[in-house]
Amino acid sequence: MNTPGIKKGAVTEWVKEKRLFQFREANLLSIIAVLFILLSLTTPGFLTAENLKTTLIGLVLDGIVAVGMTLVLVAAGVDLSVGSVLALSSVLAGYLAYNDINIWLASLIAIVVSLLTGFVNGFFISRVGLNPLIMTLGMMSVARGVAYVITEGAPISITGMNPSFLYFGQGEILGIPTIVIILLILVILGDILLRKTVYLRQVYYVGSNEKAAKLSGIHVKNIHLMVYTVSAVLAGLAGLLSLARFSVATPTAGMGAELRAIAACVIGGASLTGGVGTIVGSLLGVVLVGLVNNALVLMDVSVYWQQLVTGLVLIIAVTWDVISHRKKEKRRLKADSNH
Amino acid sequence: MSSAIERKKKGDLKRIQTTEGVMVMKKSLIVAIAFMLSLSTLIGCAKESASDQETSAPYQGSKDEKYVMVTFLSGIEYWKNAFQGMEEAANNLGVKAVYKGADQYDINQQVTVLEQVIAQKPDGILVTCINPDALVAPINKAVDAGIPVITFDADAPDSKRYSFLATSNYDAGATAARELARLTKEKGKVGVVTVPGQLNHEERKKGFVETIQKEFPKMKVVSIQDGKSDQVQSAQATSAMIQKHPDLVGIFATEASTGVGVGTAIKEAGKVGKIHIISFDTDKGTLDMVKSGVIDATLAQGTWNMGYWGMHYLYNLKHDLIHPVNDWKTAKINPLPPFVDTGVNVVTKENVDHFYSNN
Repeated sequence: MNTPGIKKGAVTEWVKEKRLFQFREANLLSIIAVLFILLSLTTPGFLTAENLKTTLIGLVLDGIVAVGMTLVLVAAGVDLSVGSVLALSSVLAGYLAYNDINIWLASLIAIVVSLLTGFVNGFFISRVGLNPLIMTLGMMSVARGVAYVITEGAPISITGMNPSFLYFGQGEILGIPTIVIILLILVILGDILLRKTVYLRQVYYVGSNEKAAKLSGIHVKNIHLMVYTVSAVLAGLAGLLSLARFSVATPTAGMGAELRAIAACVIGGASLTGGVGTIVGSLLGVVLVGLVNNALVLMDVSVYWQQLVTGLVLIIAVTWDVISHRKKEKRRLKADSNH
Repeated sequence: MSSAIERKKKGDLKRIQTTEGVMVMKKSLIVAIAFMLSLSTLIGCAKESASDQETSAPYQGSKDEKYVMVTFLSGIEYWKNAFQGMEEAANNLGVKAVYKGADQYDINQQVTVLEQVIAQKPDGILVTCINPDALVAPINKAVDAGIPVITFDADAPDSKRYSFLATSNYDAGATAARELARLTKEKGKVGVVTVPGQLNHEERKKGFVETIQKEFPKMKVVSIQDGKSDQVQSAQATSAMIQKHPDLVGIFATEASTGVGVGTAIKEAGKVGKIHIISFDTDKGTLDMVKSGVIDATLAQGTWNMGYWGMHYLYNLKHDLIHPVNDWKTAKINPLPPFVDTGVNVVTKENVDHFYSNN
């Protein structure tokens, strides 16, 4: 621990906390396992390679977006622009490729533009002091707007283009879809980095107590800048994978992805007030939502229930979050008055 | 924000305690979800237990046969009529029709639902395509696996689907032009409020504009505005259009919510009867405006027929009942009409009541 000013006590606190995180994930995992077994026994067509594979592929984009969203939420921020940045990246790469620019160069440009949107978000939030909700709401509209301007509303098709690019979205490695492997790598890598590296640990300190983090020598503004940039780059990457999977870029891609990602992160243990949450937890949240949606399709539950159930999951999760924080606050007030 | 920081300042140890609290609650939340799911599993099982025995007549299927309709934006009223048609056909044939879809306008979600449906190996799929290219791969996968696929309303022309049932949008636009011309006695300035960039709307607009140009020399399309598929935006666009062209005599709205927006603006401007409106589709808002005379006529698409005949096509394919040649599979020909125009009907004050019952 060579970061200046991080106290020893904070480290031991983190070690204890880490154990709790793992416990919580184990909990969510066991619930998913129970649900899985339940569906396998009761729902014909659930436990087939085909169904599981499609369900997994279906949650990749939300999963990648949720990885970045976890970072932002842990830092006590929120990023509403991810769905739009996903669309912008996808449309931009598709547009450039359609106009005979090498697809890899086009992808690079799309990622750089995504990075810039995140940087602008982070800059205005950390340096100018705009509220994250408002700033990213604005960027959500701007990025979607640019996607509409580029395409004039019509989808861009790159069917039959560079097969090595399409491989990332459509190919398989040892029977596992490439796109799923990419998600797993991002989640495992991201989770380890966020847990183990001193630099990313700072996100937890900033999110749980910004003032103390500042006093202990953490460059809080740069941390904010970093989380929004990472979130946007991941959203941009999800956009490219969407392009590679469908060989088509639409300005409406990723609609509502930001809300699904926030819901999944909260279910996975992240808090809207910052300081808690893990990437693996968020992935489990995405998996749970994906399983619920798959179950609704398989069990012939009317489509009119789909929105309702997804909405209920979100509301219940956020309600739980708020109630738990209210209790936390009460205990704190009590503790404060004892001093 | 700063008070939150103050609050957090002291709570290092307490945070660990309360994290446990959050965890417990989260656990019970997840248990609740699991419970809800298992409950609906039971309901789902109970529903499926009935089954009928097969008879020898070719148009008598079995209740075990399952045909699935897959849509996007699955909650909207528009698909309801199509599924009603499909359901009625399924009842007539003695098979089961199921409605599934993705609730948002998102390719990823529709493809995921479609793939999950294919994984269940139903007896046939009637699908409307959110995007012509993105659905090619899953549709082909289904057809290769022996599941007949018919598209309706929106097509994936490069796929192996057997047939496509939909409104010819260009012809619908032409019908709108002729209807508006009848109302305005074939003269005067008219406008269009549409959704630019969407193929079906572009075609309706084109059919309308070109028919006016070709068939009604005393009429002129003076303004084409973007209603953004939204009532409020369409009303704004319409108000601006009336300001600019006070002598306007008619407006064609290429979509339902656009039509309601146009109608509202005309009503607010006190120009009902002076500016005639032709709208599209038959959701309740539009029908109400037709009934009250704000909208002169709306074009009802043959969505019911898309579902009804789409279901029949699937059944015929599944049961191998069509033989335009001895063996169309080895001959590699399409046994079905590749495109069916399900047409439009003009809905006016006189017949509007009949369209309510369908919703």
